[in-house]
Amino acid sequence: MANEPAQEYIQVTYKKPRPYRWAAGEYLSRLYRECRDNKRLMTVKCQHCNEHVWPPSKVCGRCKKPSGDNWVVVSDKGSVVQFTYTNFPMFDPHVGKYMTEEHPFATIDLDDCEIYWVAKLEEKDKDKLKPGMRVQAVWREEGRGGGLDHDILYFRTIEE
Amino acid sequence: MGNRVAIVGIGQTYHKSHRPDVSQMELVNEAVRPALADAQMNMKDIDAVFVGNMETFEGIYLPDHSMVDFSGAYMKPGFKIASGGTTGCSILEEAFHCVTAGIFDKVLVAAFEKQDSGDSTGAITAATTPAWGKGQARGAIHEFAKQALSYIKHSGATEAHAAMVRLKADKGACRNPYSHLKLGLKSIDDILSSEPLEYPLRLFDFCPQSCGACAIIIANEEETKKITNKPVWIADTICVHQEIFRAGAFCDFTGKERYSQEIAAERLYKRNGITNPRKEIDMAEVYEPSDWEEMLIYELFGLCPRNEGWKLVEKGITEIEGEWPVNPSGGVLSTNPIGATPTVRIAECVLQIRGEAGEHQVTKDVNTAFATALGGPNWTSMILLKKSV
Amino acid sequence: MTERTVEILEDSDRFVFPWQLAIPNTYPAGVVGSKFLIELRDNKKIKGIKCPECNQVYVPPRSTCKYCFGELSELVDVSDKGTLVTYAVSYEPTPVQPVEGTPVIYGIVKLDGADTGFVHMLGEVDPKQLEIGMRVKAVFKTKKKRVASILDIKYFKPLKI
Ligand SMILES: [Zn+2]
Ligand SMILES: [Zn+2]
Repeated sequence: MANEPAQEYIQVTYKKPRPYRWAAGEYLSRLYRECRDNKRLMTVKCQHCNEHVWPPSKVCGRCKKPSGDNWVVVSDKGSVVQFTYTNFPMFDPHVGKYMTEEHPFATIDLDDCEIYWVAKLEEKDKDKLKPGMRVQAVWREEGRGGGLDHDILYFRTIEE
Repeated sequence: MGNRVAIVGIGQTYHKSHRPDVSQMELVNEAVRPALADAQMNMKDIDAVFVGNMETFEGIYLPDHSMVDFSGAYMKPGFKIASGGTTGCSILEEAFHCVTAGIFDKVLVAAFEKQDSGDSTGAITAATTPAWGKGQARGAIHEFAKQALSYIKHSGATEAHAAMVRLKADKGACRNPYSHLKLGLKSIDDILSSEPLEYPLRLFDFCPQSCGACAIIIANEEETKKITNKPVWIADTICVHQEIFRAGAFCDFTGKERYSQEIAAERLYKRNGITNPRKEIDMAEVYEPSDWEEMLIYELFGLCPRNEGWKLVEKGITEIEGEWPVNPSGGVLSTNPIGATPTVRIAECVLQIRGEAGEHQVTKDVNTAFATALGGPNWTSMILLKKSV
Repeated sequence: MTERTVEILEDSDRFVFPWQLAIPNTYPAGVVGSKFLIELRDNKKIKGIKCPECNQVYVPPRSTCKYCFGELSELVDVSDKGTLVTYAVSYEPTPVQPVEGTPVIYGIVKLDGADTGFVHMLGEVDPKQLEIGMRVKAVFKTKKKRVASILDIKYFKPLKI
C-alpha cells in the first residue's frame, strides 16, 4: 500500500445537535426556586454529619446517608481562592457556538460554610485579580431559576 | 491473593494531532496488531477484549460496538470503559481483576482517542450536569490553571520550575519514537515565552490533544510462562475517588481535604510493604496534564515532603539520567490520546522494566515502577509493576 | 437554541433543562472506507472487500476480517442490486434522521456478490408493498449532488422484473 500514489481521504462531518432533557430533581429544584424567587442560595445541612451538602442533594456525599431537610441559607459573599481566565475562545457545547463574552472564573470560598463554588467574576482587569479578594453575587433582576447564570450575573468585588 | 498476572504484550501507535487517513477503528487496530506481535500471539489466543475510550470526545456512541472487528472482540466477551482520564488504566485494572480471579486467562485491552474528530474541551464542558457545572466548567485546562495558581502560592515554586518539568518532558519526547510533540526546546525561556493560554498556564505548560491508541495483553502465571520470557508482573492496582465539587479535586487549598493520589499511593504502598518509595520503587510514568501537576504529584506519591516537589526538579532527580526518573517517555505533556494516555503510561513502564525503551531508556536499572492516571473530579488509578515477583 | 433555557414541570415544582449537545464531529472514513465513498461519488459503483482466507465479501469494506482478524485490501465490485433481508418503517420523526419527512423506511439489503447486509433506506415504494426477499436496486443521486457520502445513494427501490 505504501507505494501507491497519495490517496484522497474522505471525512464525514456531523453537525446536528443531539437534544436531551435533564431533570434537576427535588433538592436542586428547591435551590433554583430560592434563587429565582428570593435571590438567595440555600442548601441542606446533613442530618447525620452536619456538613453543608453542596450542591444540595438527597444523599450526603460525605457520609452517604440521607441528608434530611435541614435547609439553611448560604452566604452569597465569599473570598476568591483561585482564579483563571482564558486567552483562547471556548466552545459552548450547549449552544454550538464559541463564547463571546469571557469573564474570569474563580473558585470562591463562600462565607461561613465550607462551600467552594466556581463562578464568574465581574472584574475583567487581570491586574486587579488576586487570591483572597472579597466578592459578592450580583443577582439578575428577573431570575429565571436554574441557578448559575440564570439567576446570578457574576460575583462583584466588594470593599470591606 | 488471586492468580499472578503479567503483561505479556504491548503495542502503541505513533501519536499525531491529526489522522485523517484512518478511521477510529483502524487506529485501534494499529495498536492491537503490534501488541499481538509483541506477545507472539494470535487473536484466537485471546479470551476477552476490553476497550477504553471517552466516546463523547469523538461523538461515536458505543465505540466498542463499531470496532468489534478491529479490536478482535468478535464473538469474545468484554466491555468498554469510559472513566475520563483514567479510562486507559481502568480497563487494565478490570482485566487484571478478571484474570487474577480466574475468570479469563488472557485478556487484551485496547484504548484510544482520536481528537481530530471532535472537541474534547467542549465535550468535557458538556460532561457536567446541565444544571450545575455546565456553563461554568471550562474543560480540564481550567482546573489545572487554578491548581497552578494555588501551587505557586503554597509551595513557593516559580514558573521557572514548571518550565524545567516541561523541558525534561520534551527531552524524553524527542528520544521517544511514538511521542506526539517533539518540540526541541532549548531552554526554559522557550517555555516561559510561549503564548498565554489560561492564566497562569502557557501553551507549553499544558498537554496536547493527540490521536493515538495503545493495547496491552495480560495473562495468568501459567499462560505467561508459555508466552514470554520477559514478563512484567502486575503487583497491584488501586483506584480512589474524590467527591465532586469538593476542594481536593485537582488541588486542595483548604489543607483539610485529601487528594485521591495521596490516598491511592498510601494504600498501594501499605499493601505492598513499601515504606520508602524513593528507595523501593525505581521510577514512574505519571499522568501530568500540566507541568505544575507533575511537581504536585511528586509530593502526593510520597517522593518528597509536601511543597517540595519543585526541589526534585531543581536537582534533576526526575530526569532520565536522574536518581528517580519520572516520565522518561515525555509523558502526557508531549502525548495525550486521552482514553489511551494511561495505557501508554503502563506500556512505557513495561518498556523500561524490560530495558527496551531504546533512546529514552533510563540510566538506572528498573525492577519496580508504577504508572498512574487521573480522571474527572480527581479520581486516581495506580498500577504497580515488577520485573519479578 | 441560542441560549440555555429551563422549564418547570407542570405537575410539580421541579426544573427540567431542555438542552442539547451541539459539538460538530468529523469522522475520517479511513483507507478502505474512503475508497468506497469515492467510488460512490465518481463511478456510482458499490465496492466490497474480500477476505481471501475466509472467502467473505464485506460491504461497506473494512480493513480487518472479523473471522480471521486478517488485514484486508482486496476491493471487489458488488452489484447495485440485491435482496431485501429485513426492513423497518419509521413514522415518528426524529431530530437526527438522515432525510427530511416521514415515513423513513430503513432496510438491510444483501447486495449480489456480498456476504453482509448493507443498511440503507428504501424509496419509491408504498410501505404496504414491502416484502422480505424482494429484489431492490440502488438509486444514486445526480453527479452534482454526490459528495462521497453514504447518502450519495438516495435509496434502494423495488426492482421490477
Ligand atoms: Zn453527611
Ligand atoms: Zn478472514
